[in-house]
Amino acid sequence: MSKWQTLQTRSFLESTARQRAQGLVDEGSFTELVGPTERFISPHLPELGEAVEFDDGVVTGIGLLGKHPAIVISQEGRFIGGAVGEVGGAKMVGALKLAQSIYEKLQAENPAEVQARRPIVLISFETGGVRLHEANAGLLAHAEVMDQIQNLRHKVPVVSVVGSKIGCFGGMGFVAAATDVIVMSEFSRIGLTGPEVIEQEMGRAEFDASDRALVFRTTGGKHKYIMGDCNYLVPDSIAAFRQQAIAIAALPMDAIENLRRIGSRSAIERQMQLVAMAAEVSPTDAKDMWKAIGNENPQQLIDANYTDFMAQAKRLTPAA
Amino acid sequence: METMMGQGRLAIDMIVDQDSFAENQIPNFSVPCEDYAPGAVVGTARINGRECTVIANDAMECNPRFPVVYAGIIGMEEGYKMAMAVYRSIEADADLPVAKKRPLLLIVDTPGNGPGKVEEIIGMNKSTGAYQLALAEARKAGHPVLAVVIGRAISGAFLCHGLQADQIISLSSKYNTMIHVMPLTSIARITKQDLERLTALSTSNPVFAAGPEFFFRLGGVEEIMESPQAMRECVTRHLDDIYTLKAVNRTDKLGPWGRGELGEQRGGRITRKKVMARMNEQFDAVADRYLNA
Repeated sequence: MSKWQTLQTRSFLESTARQRAQGLVDEGSFTELVGPTERFISPHLPELGEAVEFDDGVVTGIGLLGKHPAIVISQEGRFIGGAVGEVGGAKMVGALKLAQSIYEKLQAENPAEVQARRPIVLISFETGGVRLHEANAGLLAHAEVMDQIQNLRHKVPVVSVVGSKIGCFGGMGFVAAATDVIVMSEFSRIGLTGPEVIEQEMGRAEFDASDRALVFRTTGGKHKYIMGDCNYLVPDSIAAFRQQAIAIAALPMDAIENLRRIGSRSAIERQMQLVAMAAEVSPTDAKDMWKAIGNENPQQLIDANYTDFMAQAKRLTPAA
Repeated sequence: METMMGQGRLAIDMIVDQDSFAENQIPNFSVPCEDYAPGAVVGTARINGRECTVIANDAMECNPRFPVVYAGIIGMEEGYKMAMAVYRSIEADADLPVAKKRPLLLIVDTPGNGPGKVEEIIGMNKSTGAYQLALAEARKAGHPVLAVVIGRAISGAFLCHGLQADQIISLSSKYNTMIHVMPLTSIARITKQDLERLTALSTSNPVFAAGPEFFFRLGGVEEIMESPQAMRECVTRHLDDIYTLKAVNRTDKLGPWGRGELGEQRGGRITRKKVMARMNEQFDAVADRYLNA
């Protein structure tokens, strides 16, 4: 088995940012851009006496999914929790701009081939958001990422690939919500406020951050799938995420638009109804929402394996 | 006047034409109930006779349905209400040329996003994400979007209510204006850095420190205003500036991207652009393989 074939069978959860990036695209097709040999380190961490990484915790590059150029951004949680600073943020922004310029070139030179060769962006999140060591630069970079995502609207699908240990939190939680498509495994999470902060705000009686089952029910893949926030729930292997990415790359752009949760007036009208439902149900646990959505036995879904869960779960869908 | 914090409604009156603010009056805009997201104030006013959409925080209000939302916090209802005001403004001017599109004026005094359990179960990230996308769409459609920081512009709440604007102006820290991700004391605790050392370092490197003056050096704030009485004049001038830049297609000088460029000019965030230039160079060397697969 080649190295790439071995990667396919690996747990996505256990894989490094670089393994995820290489494994998501076709065999041997990944070229890392501004990789560690370029040694773009954070200019701010050394001032604080902190260790640096030569890739600043973000792998950016390009590969192929068939004929589709796939721009990959993959965050490494093992380096300062995957938090975004000036360099890592610039790599994300640069990669998104690259997707736009590839699209524009294709549109100008070969418009008949747009559907067949349209680029796709895959963001493998593993982050808590802004890197506090260079907080202001990190915050400003988040706004730039959001701006670039809007530039790609109706042109290039931007896919959140969320299957890593830390998941996607803080300001990057907004970014994931703002992408076109969200693919998750049940072992990863998306949110804004992390469990420890909720416990601090509300007290342990309301939310016990050490209760892993509770934490996963609140922001984990199964919950996000039922709520319609995660479009596709996949098993925990690089191959499974990759297969889903291939299927998304083949979709026409109007089908992609229908997978969005937010980004248009009609989408937020649906979200406002969901908020009204929350006010009415007043959930003290995610299970209350699962019930309200039509799942009579939420505990059974929590315990279910992937196949049974997918067969049984009743869910909201993003599109009307 | 020592501070404008908590006085979003007063700030509206100080900036717009006298008695011109009409709350909830945006074409086709409506809220589901009277007390919907009361801390998010939206409506139409005139500035020197020109109609504009105003979106502000009222820090004196509490949300009756979501108890973590008070004191200017942007909760789920608030984010969607603000986003809806933006989409309705875009629709109202859809047929107008860029020079005639109404400005969006954001009056910023918010300490954060709703941090609760229900918020996470339903997805707080979607609400503020929705507002950011709406503002980005308005800006790209040609509406001038100007943010005026009068009090607190904190972290994720500033990301949604402020950082998608074309330009950002701020009252100086003399008025207790706060722009930061976290106070330096919390950053020191979480990153296990010595507070005195961080404070000392922040005078030479603005990425560490809290306050409008540091964001100014990073390009995150266009101009700092020395008194609340200066707000009206400053808003007028910046709106004119944004209209002019949009008329000559210099949107690269505006919005989050423009702030990146401005930061570099002011000597902050100087690595950012080098990273992107290198990425393009490296891609160009392999482009053929990916464009003609």
